[in-house]
Amino acid sequence: MTATAERAPAPPKLSPLGWLRKRLFQNVGSAVLSVTLIVILLYVVYRSLVFVVINGQWEAISRNLTLFMVGTFPRDQVWRLAAQALMLGLAFGIGVGTASGTARDKAKQAGLAYEPPLLAGTLKRFWSLIAFVLVLLTLAGTAGPWLVVGGAVLVGYIGWHSWRLPPSMRTLGWLLTALLFLAGFQVVSGTEGLAWLPVALVLAAASRLLVPVERLETPLRQLVSLGAPLVAAGVVYGIYQVIAAPGVGWDDWSGMILTLWWSAIVIVLAFPTGLMLALARRSTLPALRYLATTYIELIRGVPLITLLFMGQFMLGFMLPAGTVFSSITRSIAAGTLFTAAYVAEIVRGGLQSLPPGQMEAGQALGMGIPAIMRRIVLPQALRAVIPAMVGQFISLFKDSSLLFIIGATEFLGVRDLVHAQADFRVSAHAETLVFVAVGYWAIAFSMSRESQRLERRLGVGET
Amino acid sequence: MVTTTTSKTHSRPPFWRDLRVLRVVGQFVAIILVGLVLWWLFTNLVDNLNRAGIRTDFGFLTQPTQFTVPYFNTFNARNPVWQMVLVGVKNTFLAGSVGIIIASVLGLVVGILRLSNNWLAARLATVFVEFFRNIPPLVVIVFFGSAVFTFGPLPILSEALELRLPGSSDTFLLLSNDRWGIPGFTSRGNVPAYLGILVVGLVISVLLWIWRTRVNLSTGEPHHRVLWSLGALLAFAGLGYLVLGGPFGVEWPSLSENRRLIVSGFAMNWGFMALTGALGLYTASHIAEIVRGSIQAVPKGQTEASSALALSAFQRYRFVVLPQALRIAVPPVINQYLNLVKNTSLGLAVAYAELTALTQTSIANGRPAVQSIVVMMAIYLAFSLTISLALNVVNRRLQLVTR
Repeated sequence: MTATAERAPAPPKLSPLGWLRKRLFQNVGSAVLSVTLIVILLYVVYRSLVFVVINGQWEAISRNLTLFMVGTFPRDQVWRLAAQALMLGLAFGIGVGTASGTARDKAKQAGLAYEPPLLAGTLKRFWSLIAFVLVLLTLAGTAGPWLVVGGAVLVGYIGWHSWRLPPSMRTLGWLLTALLFLAGFQVVSGTEGLAWLPVALVLAAASRLLVPVERLETPLRQLVSLGAPLVAAGVVYGIYQVIAAPGVGWDDWSGMILTLWWSAIVIVLAFPTGLMLALARRSTLPALRYLATTYIELIRGVPLITLLFMGQFMLGFMLPAGTVFSSITRSIAAGTLFTAAYVAEIVRGGLQSLPPGQMEAGQALGMGIPAIMRRIVLPQALRAVIPAMVGQFISLFKDSSLLFIIGATEFLGVRDLVHAQADFRVSAHAETLVFVAVGYWAIAFSMSRESQRLERRLGVGET
Repeated sequence: MVTTTTSKTHSRPPFWRDLRVLRVVGQFVAIILVGLVLWWLFTNLVDNLNRAGIRTDFGFLTQPTQFTVPYFNTFNARNPVWQMVLVGVKNTFLAGSVGIIIASVLGLVVGILRLSNNWLAARLATVFVEFFRNIPPLVVIVFFGSAVFTFGPLPILSEALELRLPGSSDTFLLLSNDRWGIPGFTSRGNVPAYLGILVVGLVISVLLWIWRTRVNLSTGEPHHRVLWSLGALLAFAGLGYLVLGGPFGVEWPSLSENRRLIVSGFAMNWGFMALTGALGLYTASHIAEIVRGSIQAVPKGQTEASSALALSAFQRYRFVVLPQALRIAVPPVINQYLNLVKNTSLGLAVAYAELTALTQTSIANGRPAVQSIVVMMAIYLAFSLTISLALNVVNRRLQLVTR
């Protein structure tokens, strides 16, 4: 890439008038196009300004900001959301810091200079999200939201400094990120029921990584590597039984937090499922291949809304009598079934992009298939599909608006609550919709910019 | 894998460690497990439905629907459910095909504008793409349905805006918040005969095309096949129209006496317009990206080579760049079409009577939910799988034949 950049001659610097002539009025067609577009643009800008500044009834939004963000969440429990914001900020900071630390370690090992990402670049990528948050804070007009957002940014900044930790503590950084993320979830949802399970899984997986099994005697090694995860799971279970703090179950979540968490939960559940499906589809065993292919093609052939309907109307009948799941849980199941098929196709693309020599090299070294997959194939294949996975997450985030159709009050559905108020029964429909659209856009646009950057940085599509 | 070095010391491992046996056994276990889970779900379903006293057969399809479909006067509450399903399928495809036309035209234009040398055009096209790509289609649909039509600035039907052609009394566009009227065609009796003539003309133009291609291949003289076949088709269309004495005419939209209905022309309801407009814009942003990407994916050397051969800008695009870009663009564009048709299921949000909306209404009217959903999913599935198969065939045809 740099080679072509060097070879290409620098474009000649144009004077403003020359630039106008070259880029807007180069020939008759271009001039006509420019003039037409300028007229349309001026008209659209004029109408938008009139709408935003003069005609818009924006109090439908400024009075209902809390409703848009947290929906019908119990108002005396909002402190949980503040605590969650702080924990997620810290988790995010530590995650980014650890990732950047890993990149530094690698650059150092390879003897390359590490260029830290510039703050300006980050601002440029996330400007839409930052602007949206700032507008929200300004509209809110009270100190609470400022404190929460400021606090989250501050702890995130502190967490980011985890890149200074020695390389041996990177695993710990990732572990902390995962645990803080789960804790942030549970500070709202409470610690009852099966809440201990994800934490136990993370700790069980971590115990295999953290305990130095290699230094132990052989018989002891197997005992420890099997026993440690079990002990970790047992301890977590015990602790959670003691805490058992009730929280706000996700049936009471609504507004923007439901949109965000729904998408996050579905992608987290769909990723491993999709990975398994992709491996099955690439398997040399015909039975597995056909089962996976059938599943993927069936799911991809129907719209998500029909699966959500299936979750609402059919899923209850398909389980033993008496098992009752809430509407949101069923929609999460439907969303996971749907997204897993798409994730599987993305991962399959990554697997197919690997030259077969990688697999053969592993076999030549006498590695088993699981070891080849885990140590050679998947790390390369998954890195190649990161941008596509972000794209899938964006589309899932946009699809979460379908929850509105099955009656959940997510970000779009909150509008119904706003327009049920006496003041806004027939007015301000356009205003609330514009606000909702801008909210979705600000988040999705930031993510898509980030995915474009990842694509460039990982060199996907280049040989 | 049997080599000469295999000696008697290399006996086969016991069957529980023999990979060949394990592979077969593993597959059987997988199939049985999946089968068992499906069987368990199915028996649960049947048990629960029986316990709840809900019928488990598809007999409901022949029972009366018991509700009417808005804007569909030919359908009444006594028509059986399967006819309602057909109405839904028809409306789904109507919205899908109109949406596809809007999305294709707009997407092509915007995609080409993004590569334009004109700075303003390229920037505005980018803004369009980045805006519509990043908001949920449902929000766009609801915006059109609610902020434009239901609560928007448009007048109610009895006070509809009637846009007239300058210097004539014919309305060419009728705008209201409920229905829009556009000019339609009206038959004056000879339409089947005219269609027959058109079919004959089409066959002859195809034959002309083949003949000109052959002439070009054997003698090398220019084929001008577009000129020949299009000319023949137009000649047939024009002559047929004259010979049959005008088999159809244009019918301008107009309101009924009591101003409650659009009686002539072609009437579209607000749900249809919100759905097709929104999906057209949303999908156009995706198609524009595909168009831009596939034009850029054509190697630069191709453009340079055609410049070196002194081809004009039009010839360069027509004969060198676009044919190669098309090969890259067709599969993802067809995928977008498929997505658009699947997204018409969001017509539910604007009360447009397509398959999903009608299925939901019929479930709400007491039809068995499970069978209704199965029928609906089977229809979507049949459609998607057909298109996928067609896509595979097209892909194979479009693949470069490398020597």
